[in-house]
Amino acid sequence: MTEYAIDIVNVTKRYAEHTAVRDLTLRVPRGSVYGLLGPNGAGKTTTIRMILNIIAPDSGAIHIFGRPSNDPKITERLGYLPEERGLYRKMQVRRVLKFLAELKGVRGSEAERRIDEWLVRLSLKTPEKDWGLAKIDELSRGMQQKVQFIGTLLHDPDLVILDEPFSGLDPINAQALKDTVVELKKRGKTVIFSTHLMDNAERLCDSVCIIARGEKVLDGTVTEVKEEHGQRNVALALEGDGMQGIATILRDHSLVKRADDSNRFFEIEMVPGADPQALLRRIIESGASVQRFEMIQPSLHQIFLQKVGAQGIEEGMTGHG
Amino acid sequence: MAKLWAIIKREYLERVRSKWFLIATFFGPLFFSAIIIVPAWLASRSKATSDIYNTTILDATGNGFGRRLALNIAGDTTNPSRIPHVAVVAPSELTSAESTATRDVMQKKRTGYIVVNQQTLAGEAARYAGRNATSIADMAQLKSAIRQTILAQRLEKVGLDDAQMKAITFIPLEFSTERITERGRAGSGMASVLFGFAIGFLLYMSIVIYGQTIMSGVLEEKTTRVAEVVMSSVPTDTLLAGKVIGVGAVGLTQQIIWIGTTYVLLKLREPIMAKFGAPTVSFSLPDISLAAGVLFLLFFLLGFIFYSSLYAAVGSSVNSESEARQAATPLLVMIVSTGVFIQPVLLNPTGRTAQVLSLVPISSPIIMPIRMAVTGVPPLELAASLGFLAIGCVAALWLASRIYRVGLLMYGKRPTMKEMARWISYSR
Repeated sequence: MTEYAIDIVNVTKRYAEHTAVRDLTLRVPRGSVYGLLGPNGAGKTTTIRMILNIIAPDSGAIHIFGRPSNDPKITERLGYLPEERGLYRKMQVRRVLKFLAELKGVRGSEAERRIDEWLVRLSLKTPEKDWGLAKIDELSRGMQQKVQFIGTLLHDPDLVILDEPFSGLDPINAQALKDTVVELKKRGKTVIFSTHLMDNAERLCDSVCIIARGEKVLDGTVTEVKEEHGQRNVALALEGDGMQGIATILRDHSLVKRADDSNRFFEIEMVPGADPQALLRRIIESGASVQRFEMIQPSLHQIFLQKVGAQGIEEGMTGHG
Repeated sequence: MAKLWAIIKREYLERVRSKWFLIATFFGPLFFSAIIIVPAWLASRSKATSDIYNTTILDATGNGFGRRLALNIAGDTTNPSRIPHVAVVAPSELTSAESTATRDVMQKKRTGYIVVNQQTLAGEAARYAGRNATSIADMAQLKSAIRQTILAQRLEKVGLDDAQMKAITFIPLEFSTERITERGRAGSGMASVLFGFAIGFLLYMSIVIYGQTIMSGVLEEKTTRVAEVVMSSVPTDTLLAGKVIGVGAVGLTQQIIWIGTTYVLLKLREPIMAKFGAPTVSFSLPDISLAAGVLFLLFFLLGFIFYSSLYAAVGSSVNSESEARQAATPLLVMIVSTGVFIQPVLLNPTGRTAQVLSLVPISSPIIMPIRMAVTGVPPLELAASLGFLAIGCVAALWLASRIYRVGLLMYGKRPTMKEMARWISYSR
């Protein structure tokens, strides 16, 4: 019994044109919710595919629950939700789920029982209507997402891997997903998900790893990461007019190292040693109406921007969720 | 093993349950029976049809010639429905009688009408007008009936009695025809050529249809990302094998149903054709032994594996149906160019071309069964053909599995041939 659900050591994966993952070492503690953060093209999907043994690393080793990732027994303990989702369009919902269950070694009446349970739980089966008997393409997008989600969890996996799980989810399904992640954690399951939505990651994850250009930038528990990169930041919220004056102040590099401008809300990273009170005075003097001025820990988003830089944004970062 | 089974089961059941499968399976035998029965039926059209019974005879002879002619046309006088209607008219009323008769034809009450008069009695002229005036067989029949009636009347004048007359004029001549071409009698072995064609066509269609079925199946799994979920549970080779076996089993099921039903339909063709009012034409079905039947299915299976694995590779390397159609062109060219050779091989099944084509794996799954249907193939050639085809299958599967496992995970632009060649060299 090892303490890690996933143990990746010095893994490299090269393709003809580029190196997708370079010398990556990553440890995901058992029972944790782990966020794999990075811009598109950073190597998240390649990493996930190697964990799932869809592709093999060129060098390095991956262990899942202490066993090599190519151990056929391991796959039955993994549940995977790929990034862009779809299912066999012409197939009946129950049959799709039965098929996915069989691939994970759940068969016969046991599979049927679990399918029923899940369909009822996600209200795809009500006394009025049993969507389990419908074909996939008769379902709404949201319902299809639910079905796929059931397919991921039907075999009660110990490790659940979700690739960009929130993309394309409607708010109700997104909330259902968050609830499920929390519940999985309570039951001692390990959840790893990749995302570029830092807000979700910050709220849900115990630990995170930021990767960019195939390499690990930093990792650790969310608390550790924040403390380590813990220059105090200032959260500033303004009301009404007076924005022009603010722009000048924020460009003053004797005080402000960088500022993330969300129009009415700013997250400001101070120059080391600068006095936040001086900043507050300047803002008030400029005539702006301050609604909130607070010393905060940097958000993951800020840390991400700081570590990955503008290039990450260009490569597909969409910032706050 | 259980997972392979799950994949096979899904591929098989989902396809067998589809409407397309039911329709194709049902219409297939009708189609194949038609290929064989229609030529035979067309041949039967060279005999006169029942149209000649439904005519009017406008008799302006004044001596009962019309009545006699009617009996002669009917032939079988015990069947009143076969006796044409006779209208005795005076020569002066003939014009108005003809317009009445024309109207009857136009209103489809009658097929046509015959005008007989003094000129007819003299053996000089008779007229016919009707919808079937272009039917050579019908016209010949009517003409011969008129001649016979004239002859009978003349004999009567000479003083022969009824029995003598019948004895002299009754000539039940059966005139069979056979075409001779530069290759000899075309009629001989016609049935087996048709059979060979049916087999070739069946294999050709099945390989194209099922190859493309696999291709779009693979493409669907790729574009919906189901492939990734499945690949996280089973090795890619298992997935590919499951698809090929599952879809192959669907094809085999369909072939067995097709061949079985066609066989039964052809066995029952005489009662069926009689139902349609077509006289039965006797032609014998080629004798196909059980061993030959098994060999046909073997060729189908191997040919299917060869092409479907390549189709799967194509499906995995592209991102949309339209790209797939383009990328599959080389495969289609391989199959269609084989199809082009079906006819030459049928005509010369023991020639050099036929021999070579039945050894090359690209064409052998279609060409060899055709040769087997129309001629005897030496066992050594048969074994060589199967051997090469089996090797071809292994090569195609190897190639396909390597492209497949990389292609399924590659999105974006369609790969070039060079890139695909590099995929083959990738580890996993």
